[in-house]
Formats: sequence, C-alpha cells, structure tokens
Amino acid sequence: MKFLRGLTIEKFREGLLSKKFTALEIAQGLFRHIKEKDSEIHAYLDLHEESALQEAENVDIALATGENLPPLAGVPLAIKDNILIKGRKTTSASKILETYVASYDATVIQKLKEEKAVFLGNANMDEFAMGASTENSAFQATKNPHDISRVPGGTSGGSAAAVAADMAVAALGSDTGGSIRQPSAFCGVVGLKPTYGAVSRSGLMPMASSLDQIGTITKTVKDAAILFNAIAGKDPMDATSAETAYGDDLLNPDFAKIKNLTIGLPEEYFVKELGGEIASAIEGVKEKLKELGMRFKTISLPHTKYSIPCYYIIVPAEISANLARFDGIRYSRIIKSEGLDLREVYVKQRGIGFGPEVKRRIILGTFVLSSGYYDAYYAKAQRVRSLIKNDFIEVFKNVDVLLTPATPHTAFKIGEKVDDPLWMYLEDIFTSTSNLAGLPAISIPAKSGIRDQGTGNSLPVGFQLIGRPFREADILGIGEYYEKSL
Amino acid sequence: MPSPITKETLKHLAELARIELTPREEEKLLYDLQKIFDHFEELKTLGTADVEPLVSVTGAKNVFRDDDERKSTNRGAGTNAFPEKENGFLKIPPVFEK
Repeated sequence: MKFLRGLTIEKFREGLLSKKFTALEIAQGLFRHIKEKDSEIHAYLDLHEESALQEAENVDIALATGENLPPLAGVPLAIKDNILIKGRKTTSASKILETYVASYDATVIQKLKEEKAVFLGNANMDEFAMGASTENSAFQATKNPHDISRVPGGTSGGSAAAVAADMAVAALGSDTGGSIRQPSAFCGVVGLKPTYGAVSRSGLMPMASSLDQIGTITKTVKDAAILFNAIAGKDPMDATSAETAYGDDLLNPDFAKIKNLTIGLPEEYFVKELGGEIASAIEGVKEKLKELGMRFKTISLPHTKYSIPCYYIIVPAEISANLARFDGIRYSRIIKSEGLDLREVYVKQRGIGFGPEVKRRIILGTFVLSSGYYDAYYAKAQRVRSLIKNDFIEVFKNVDVLLTPATPHTAFKIGEKVDDPLWMYLEDIFTSTSNLAGLPAISIPAKSGIRDQGTGNSLPVGFQLIGRPFREADILGIGEYYEKSL
Repeated sequence: MPSPITKETLKHLAELARIELTPREEEKLLYDLQKIFDHFEELKTLGTADVEPLVSVTGAKNVFRDDDERKSTNRGAGTNAFPEKENGFLKIPPVFEK
C-alpha cells in the first residue's frame, strides 16, 4: 500500500481526516506488510490482528458519525513486550513468562485506548530489558532493517525495527540506561526517554525502578512530541510519577526562542575511541545547528567515567529485588511442580526460566546488596549517582541543552558481541547518565548515512540531546528545528 | 584485583537468589563477574565520604494518595495472575513437610 512508506502520526491524521484512506485500510495494509516483511526482521513476538482491525474500524465509524477524534485515533502502534495490555500474552521476552497473560492495562495503554489508538502487537526485546542488542530475547533475534546481518540495538529493538521498517507508525519502548535511544540510533528513528516521573510506570514490568521510563519511538521528532504528550502525566498508581505542567511549546515550539538556547558539548563524550563515522556525523549536526543560529559551549561533566560502574551496581541491585516476584507461584509456572516443595519450585522455575544475562544481574545484585559488601558497592554507587546528578545541575546553570553522540559506534553484527557482557554494558556509555540523573533525552538520526565496507549498506547514526528535568520541550524543539532544516 | 565472588560465594548467592545453576553456568558466571568487578575498581579511586547517597532522583518522598473510596478497574487482576487456583482460592505447593 503506497501510503505506508514513511507514514507518520502527522501524515496519518491528515490522510484520515481528508479521507485519503480509512483507518481500516491502513491497518489491513500494515498487517499484509508485516506478514511479508517480519519473516525477515522478527520485530514482533505476537500480533493482535483481529482486535486491531476492530479498533481501526471503530475509528472509521466514529469519523463517519461526525465525532471529534482524539489526536492518536486510529494510529497503529507497536508496544514493547514489557508493557501490559489486558488479555494479551506479555512475556518481557522471557521463557519464565511464556504463559503469562496480562490481567490489567498499563496506565499508558489506558491513555492510548482513550485516544482510540490501534495496537498492532507486542514487540520483541532483550529479556526483561537487559541487553543492548535484542539478542537476549528468549524467543528470537530481531534484525536491523538497514542491514539484516546486524543487530537493531536494544533493549527496545523490536519497537525500533518495526518503526524503521514501516511495520508500525510509531511504538512504545522503555529506557533504563539507553534502551530506547540506542536502538533508535541503530535503526535511524527518533527515540525519546522522558524525564523520570513524567510518564507513569504502572503496568511496565519493572527492571530498575529508580531509572525505568516508558518512552516513544517514532519516525519524526514532531511525532515524538505528539505521542509523549498523550502518555505523560501524574498517575496515582505510580507514586514516583510527577505533577507535570507541559505548556503549548511542547507541541508548538517557538523557533525564535529555540534559536536562543545555548547548547553544551560535554568534553568527556567526545573521546578518541569514538568511531570516526560517529564523530563526523555529530560534527555535521553541530554545523547545521550553528548555521541555524544556535550557540555552543564546551563544558565538562567530570564524573562521566564512573557512570558505567555506578549504573551496573545500582541496576542489578534493583533487579535482584524486582525479579524476586517471578517465583513460579505468581504469574506463571513453567515447570512440573508435582512432588516438589516450595523451595524446589522456586529454584527450578528460576533456573530454567531466566536467561544468562538475567541470572548474571540477579547474582550480581544479590552480591552488592549483601551484608558486608553493601557499603563498598551499593551505597558507594548511590553516592556516585549524587555526584553524576550534581555535574548536570552545575552545567545546566550555563547551558540549556547538551549535545552528544547517542552511541559510540553504528550497529554491530549479530552474534559478534553476544558472549561479552562487559562490552555490552559499555554500550550505555553515553545514555545511562541521563537515567542516573533523571533527565529527558532524545536520540535523533543525523542525516549522513555511513557506508559499511562489507555490504555497502548505509548505517544510521544518532545524536543525543539531553535537557533539564521536565524540559522535553527544549530537546524536542531543537530536534524539530534541525529536522525542518534538512 | 581478584573478584570478590569465589565459587563458594557464588553458590551461596545462587541459594539466596533461589536460582539453580548448572556447573557450566557457574563457570561462565565466575569468568564474567571477574571482568565486571575489574571494571568496578575505578570507583574505589573516588572519594565519596562527604557525599549523600542519592535515593530519589526527583527528590520525592512519602508520596500518599487520598484515602478515598475508588472504583477499581482491575478487579481480579491479582488472582488472575496466579497459575493455579481452585474455587476462588490460590493454590501453592506445600510450604511445610507432611
């Protein structure tokens, strides 16, 4: 179907209201495309064709009867497999949950149902959102649509690949240390991780609760603003969600004001290990923004080098507590329990149900929280987290937004790094700091495809903008300004 | 710097975390954890004695909701999440020996 290619939320809305197409036609076209294309990409774990077509048809009926449609009415979305949709199998791509059916809707899903959005299916991910390549899924490895020998990034790799391959108009993902931004950068789409507390986590399977946020994966920055606006807001079901007061500038940025923002370049993020193709792409973005009249200032975030050890102590600690709930008593039982006592059910269920990375993090987290080691590791990491957050508070006195690379390199080959957990951890080098400090950050494609020596394919590069807490409008505004200038 | 996790510690941690590990998994875990702890060494060079630990990134604490009656949209969500149930009761394996 001709409309599907590059179909954005904005274009969908326009086409729907001007009767260029119906919501049902788009949904049907998408399922035809998915059936063909996804046998190669493997972005989806489960499709909801019947209900999605019904949801789309309801939008067409509402439109025909003259109803005012909410901004996301009929928009076909992919949802990461760790966000609950009532009545749907939701597994976090883990064997331990392969029989689990969600018994309620996540708050973001409730909001999107009120918007009359269409849910296409559940997108693949690294098991329980642990990884950087979507290879840790217990069920399938997703391929990068730009080069199927490469990973789509992770952990929201299914969501990013689905959007990049036009198998969804937009998607939801979750981001604890870069899980929306890194796959978005690898797949050439836009990934927004909101400020901690901006979006309710109710119904998101928890990984590291002090860092997890649900966010958006879209084809344009404008779409990110529209989708984020629909899911943001305080929720009594999530005590860490914040009272937000986003103004008009979120959806309608004033470029005359945006132009006057000062952009900081953190020197610690422009290291010599940075891939040459990334450095030159970021340089291109900088030049473009300069042409548009924006000012730059080199700044320093001195504790950056401690962010990965800090992150990989705090995250496993929270994981070891959060994943204790998967005990074979609640949610699912994948083992035969006859003749087993309670303890045996626990150890067998968890031994068989969790994959290697999940086990590694639970063991590591159990250790850093254990008596005798708590102060040396967990408490120490929390203190370092304060220092990292303070670095940002200091620089935001002098600049409004930070510009950095989103990833140290472009998408790597499937299988190349899967056995090297520390290497995978270092993937979060540019992204985890904004989670540790609770800041909003976005990854946007830099428009200069990189030629891969082997295949001749051009691989996307992403740049990252980090903003002050609850100033998504600044990073989205600059992003849209950049996008419009291309 | 040797990893603080020895084979014996690993067995103890696996018991605490209620995860059964195969001998192969133990071996791989010990190898990976060594590399990960080497990377953590860098933290020791940083003095943090006078720094407060960050426990809430937004600064929010003691968040209460109003103690009001409210309509639940998720009735049955808890019991539905149990794989084994009978006549409205939740079934679990025996906790005590017979």
